[in-house]
Amino acid sequence: MPVPSPFHERTAPLCRSLRWKDWAGYAAVCSYDTTHEREYFAFRETAGLLDVSPLFKYEVEGPDAAALLKRMMVRDVGKLAVGRVGYSCWCDDAGKVVDDGTVARLDDDHFRVTAADPTLHWLQAVGRGFRATIEDSSARLAALALQGPTSRAILAAASDADLDALRFFGTTRARIDTLDVWITRTGYTGDLGYEIWVERGGALRLWDALMAAGRPHGIEPAGLDALDVTRIEAGFVLLGVDYYSAPKVVLESRKSSPFELGLGWTVHLDRAPFVGRDALAAEKARGSEWALVGLEVSWEALEALYESYGLPPSLPATARRDGLPVYSGARQVGKVTSHTWSPLLKKYVALASVLASHAATGRVLEMEHTVEYERRRVPARVVATPFFDPERKRKP
Amino acid sequence: MSHDAIVLGAGPNGLAAALRLARAGRRVLVLERRELVGGLSAPEEIHPGYVAPGVLHDEGLVSPRLLARLGLDGGAVALRDAPPVLLAEPYDRGVLVHRDAAATAAELEARSPADAEAYARYRAFCDRLAPLFARLFGAPPPPLSPRGAADWLGLLGTGFALSRLGRATATELARVAPMCVADFLGERFATPLLVEGLAAPAVAGTWAGPWSAGTTTNLLLHECAPGRFVAGGPAALVRALAEAAEARGAEIRVGAEVARVRLDGGRVAGVELASGETLDAPLLLATCDPRQTLLELLPPGTLPLGIEAEARRIRARGTAAKLHLALAGALELPGRAGEPIERLRFGGGHVDQLERAFDAVKYRRISAHPHLEVRVPSVADSSLAPPGHHVVSVLASYTPHDVEGGWTAVRRHALSESILDALEHHAPGTRSKIVALQLLTPADLERSWGVTGGQLHHVEPALDQLFVMRPSPGLARYSTPVSGLFLGGSGSHGGGGLSITPGVLAAETALASTRR
Repeated sequence: MPVPSPFHERTAPLCRSLRWKDWAGYAAVCSYDTTHEREYFAFRETAGLLDVSPLFKYEVEGPDAAALLKRMMVRDVGKLAVGRVGYSCWCDDAGKVVDDGTVARLDDDHFRVTAADPTLHWLQAVGRGFRATIEDSSARLAALALQGPTSRAILAAASDADLDALRFFGTTRARIDTLDVWITRTGYTGDLGYEIWVERGGALRLWDALMAAGRPHGIEPAGLDALDVTRIEAGFVLLGVDYYSAPKVVLESRKSSPFELGLGWTVHLDRAPFVGRDALAAEKARGSEWALVGLEVSWEALEALYESYGLPPSLPATARRDGLPVYSGARQVGKVTSHTWSPLLKKYVALASVLASHAATGRVLEMEHTVEYERRRVPARVVATPFFDPERKRKP
Repeated sequence: MSHDAIVLGAGPNGLAAALRLARAGRRVLVLERRELVGGLSAPEEIHPGYVAPGVLHDEGLVSPRLLARLGLDGGAVALRDAPPVLLAEPYDRGVLVHRDAAATAAELEARSPADAEAYARYRAFCDRLAPLFARLFGAPPPPLSPRGAADWLGLLGTGFALSRLGRATATELARVAPMCVADFLGERFATPLLVEGLAAPAVAGTWAGPWSAGTTTNLLLHECAPGRFVAGGPAALVRALAEAAEARGAEIRVGAEVARVRLDGGRVAGVELASGETLDAPLLLATCDPRQTLLELLPPGTLPLGIEAEARRIRARGTAAKLHLALAGALELPGRAGEPIERLRFGGGHVDQLERAFDAVKYRRISAHPHLEVRVPSVADSSLAPPGHHVVSVLASYTPHDVEGGWTAVRRHALSESILDALEHHAPGTRSKIVALQLLTPADLERSWGVTGGQLHHVEPALDQLFVMRPSPGLARYSTPVSGLFLGGSGSHGGGGLSITPGVLAAETALASTRR
């Protein structure tokens, strides 16, 4: 039974659609309205405010905190300066991804790790023998994501933070309505945006302060449905959807390496051994079997397909996670793991895992599409991700 | 000066490994934490004029074939027949068990003609298994995922050795290996004293009683071993190994405690001593116990997570205490008056008494009636004690490492009293002859010899910690995930008890992986 998040008192009255889902044991809003459209456009045109308290959060502190996380993460997080955040995944001994998240260096020997799955056990297993304490701060800390073009203006009004100095993937302490908070310039929408972390006792005051400051800037509470569309546009993979945690699956074929998820850029091999290094170095040398690609479905072909049934084109209203086979000629060469209509780009886009031999940008593959209970195919071109990458995201 | 290889530990395995490496032309440095060589088999003067033979001194597991491979045959290490063991009974003659079936049968004849015959069959069974065991425990364990011709040829050879047992013996081996030793021996012998006495070596130093599953395998390891003793005892073996290694250029440093292993880019670079001194070598062969090597000497975070988890699962709980006595006179048994006997077992006369002794250790208590494995080395070598006097070495089962309430002076006294009571029960008058006494609890063994848990075999001998799983499945073939680091101590395959097998085989594995 999901429990209320620290923001529930505010989000529940607003969620008139009664559309909730279980996110990591918390009741989380899918959309406040009956559809997510208004919330989606808030993310892309003004600012959306999303309760991300269900994220798993861990504090790793002590003289060996950096060494511990260097061992765990594929990224050399020891190189993060204080006040910087790094995105990384972590692997098992065989170089298969366990989970992904952010690592924020709050101090020389204090890191905050976020994760999609419970990670305390993994941190403890990796951390045996290291002089570092590991705290599961998931329940202690409440968090809000404030994402969208006006988010900086809202935060400037609400907080005392020097936002001009807070670069993309930076973190700083700040005060909002006299509350001590951490602000990170991070998010899951691929847009200008921030996440604000506070002790759970201050959650409601934080919400109120941001909503009040955001009113002139078009702030809207937003739910997970809108987030799902934006994260696909941003090309971000999601654990349990686009890939599975290696220790939890039965089949080897369900496991993925960072290279196969398009996260090869996070892997730093030239350093002391870390979990999975040998396997990753070997994979890098020999080449990966799979690649994560963006697919853009040919609208003309889709229209023609529906036309052949005497129907206008129709697509699901929300982002979808049903896996769809991807073909090249008669051969299945992969699968779509997430797909959505992008209202902003006016395109039907998908994240897919395809054989590396079929992953070249520009290559036209075919994706299954069901019309009138018949399984058909539509052409889909391999394109670079992110599908949407606004300059404001990383602008100083 | 840098060396080609550093060997950690100067016990029999460490010295044998050093000798093997030195014979291959490697410049070897042996580092020993204690002030003398020999490890658990180092002789020690427990009182002026009285030399105890060390903690482990059953040389029956030492392989003459490997001694030959080290060039220590032909007189360098003289072997002798294993002396018989007396399964003692208070005020009675007991049973003197010889390696030789006929001699034992003669001992048993008067007591039970059926058991006399059964013993001959039992020895014949062990003798049929001996070639297979010599093959399996005199070579690295077979690979679980064979690669290359050598691996497959090795497996083929093992299959051939197995097929040579014949269908009946092979089936019997498969049937009895997982059994408890009490059932296995109970099927064969009617005399309770015989069942208990034969079962004892299968459980000595293990976390198991005679009714524990799989203990028959321990017994067969013991019974199918070469079973030859070294003239001059373990001291002569240690001396011969050390002298031969030094003659080949190996350097042995005692009083050199290693604080940690130094790595460079994930490879072994050398060691750092507790004194802070650093020593360089690209190859490190550790004969200390694997938990210590992998979990304490390696920098944290070095091992793959899976291997580290395996290392943490290795069970190393000591269950035996040692008592050394300097006696003004002989250990005299009323039933064997005037007969000097070198090896004796003092138990309760029934296998259940041995099981009851084991019960205590499960609950962190000292056995009220311990089972004693007794050696009187001065029977064979009178130079170990003043004329007419003797030294007695007792292995007392069972004694917990972390005794409930801790090892206080009171509890140490209770332990030595329980052992002395058992001695006195079988050999009245022993107490009055005591000149000096040395008691070593498992906690003392851990402190003085650095063996985790005071476990004499480094890794508890049990079905899941033997053969291809000793000390663990991912570490069973002497090499480790750390390039240049090899495990060659008693906790590796071929080890457990006084043996040189893991040391030699680990050295040969290291040589094969670094062939110049």
